[in-house]
Amino acid sequence: MEEIVFGIGITALAGALATVAGAAEDVESDIGSQGDPNSQVQLAPQMGYIHRIFNKAVAGEPPAYGLWVALGAGLAWAFMAMQINPILAIVLGSALAVFVQGVYATTAYLGRTASLAKFGQPVYIDILKSMTTVTMAHAFVAIFTTVAMCHLMIGALGHPFPLPLLGLVWGIALGAAGSATGNPFYGKERQYQEQKFGAGVPISASGNIVRYAEAGQRNSLDNGFFSAKLGGPASGVCFGLIVFFELWRTVVFEELNVWGPVIVGVIVILIFAIIDRYIEVWARKNFGPYTAPEEASS
Amino acid sequence: MSALGGPKQTVGVQPPTGMGLVVSIVLIVVALALAFYLVQMAGVLAVIGIIIGGVLIAFGVHFVPVGGAPAAMGQAPGIATGVAMLAAGAGLAGLFGGAWAAPFGLAVALAGGAVGGGLLMAITCTMVNVIYIFGMGIPAASGKVAKDPITGDTFPEYKSQGTEGHGLPFISWVGGVIGGALGGLGGTLIYLELLDIYQAQLPIILNTTVEQIAPVAVSLAGIFAVGMFLVNAVLAAYNITGTIEGPHDPKFKRFPRAVIAAAAASAVTGIFAIALLRLIGGF
Repeated sequence: MEEIVFGIGITALAGALATVAGAAEDVESDIGSQGDPNSQVQLAPQMGYIHRIFNKAVAGEPPAYGLWVALGAGLAWAFMAMQINPILAIVLGSALAVFVQGVYATTAYLGRTASLAKFGQPVYIDILKSMTTVTMAHAFVAIFTTVAMCHLMIGALGHPFPLPLLGLVWGIALGAAGSATGNPFYGKERQYQEQKFGAGVPISASGNIVRYAEAGQRNSLDNGFFSAKLGGPASGVCFGLIVFFELWRTVVFEELNVWGPVIVGVIVILIFAIIDRYIEVWARKNFGPYTAPEEASS
Repeated sequence: MSALGGPKQTVGVQPPTGMGLVVSIVLIVVALALAFYLVQMAGVLAVIGIIIGGVLIAFGVHFVPVGGAPAAMGQAPGIATGVAMLAAGAGLAGLFGGAWAAPFGLAVALAGGAVGGGLLMAITCTMVNVIYIFGMGIPAASGKVAKDPITGDTFPEYKSQGTEGHGLPFISWVGGVIGGALGGLGGTLIYLELLDIYQAQLPIILNTTVEQIAPVAVSLAGIFAVGMFLVNAVLAAYNITGTIEGPHDPKFKRFPRAVIAAAAASAVTGIFAIALLRLIGGF
């Protein structure tokens, strides 16, 4: 019994760490414009819209996070093998991994933006100076929490994978959850605020991103502020729930029966099916069918 | 003709070419023969398991509703990320669960892997709909079919002008969960097959006990399972090209080609994973 209570505590802590990781990951990727709407930031200058938004997407978010978290976990693992205190080892490993992220962000921004020179898009050095450190700070939070969570899974719950491999697995899952959940909020709601709320962005409006903020020209720090309101927390809840339910169903129900975690997993999936169907019907009832926006009559 | 030339892409069934089939069968037979030469019957069974796992992953990826960048702007239905990435995320979460349950036997581990992958997709798809509905105010509407085959909801009147649909209809949600479950199942199967081979062979080659070799065997099997997962997921993503809404999408019918390619790719990667034993023994 005591073991189960301990396991639940570890599960809750891992879930909390994952929630923070998801939120930081999404805000980081939105500031760096690394998630899927990045094509719009790349496309905008070609459509004649010069902007001051960071753009560091080269590979997708999940493999990038897979790399950074695996790197942080691998270094932490090596430090622990050198008898360094685990907490210090995880901090050091994550800090070193963040420098790789910083180099990646710098070269990606310079390379991607320089490729748009023929469309008149300048490389803003002040943007590079101010944004890179901010994405690095967010990336540190995401990497540190994920590596710490992986360490808990091995040290306290006894998962057989070594720390770097677990870092790779959960890094990719973190990127997948963050890029799936948080990105639409940044992509549509932030970049296309001129479009009518409650409708998708017409394909003809591609590249016509909003470039001005409340105080002058918009930059990626404004995007971070915006994403932190809903996209980030939603990504955090998504990743936190994934980690929590994956661990919880195993820790609590494995003791009763070896099939327990499987049965509970299926029940949880069915509960999420009901929740999804409920909100889908709610949206159809409350938003109603699409109505074309009325043309402004003169 | 497309802008780049070549035959026009058809959305329906695209059967594999005769040449492709012959090459795939030859590769699989060669891999099985090599496996028999290296570790006798156990090797053949492991390669067959790896091929089944790879096929399950490639088939599963076709179920996952992915909209890429257009989905992130409410221009197309699906989840706003890449096919291979999302499927890999789900499958690896399954592998995490499956590897954990490995001591309880094949059936429990496989079921654990499948449920793990399905659970990740169930939570992700639900949260995606939460963002679409409460963050962007967009109800789900498919651009490929007029009616949801499961719930019977009609879509055309909910679809915004100038888009190919948006949100995540219930059929796509179900497709995502099935895809995640198949991915988790396939990944776990590959892991368990490799783990068996390594645990049986490594102690003989290195002249150690099973307990001493366990961390090496787990790490090698895990990293190869992750690698093969990505091989098969990327392969399936190339077959899909861009976006897919789920099992109701006409592109779904393209899966036979990916399944055959995945079988050949898994056989080749599988034989490399097994031949590694000889390499370790050589040192």
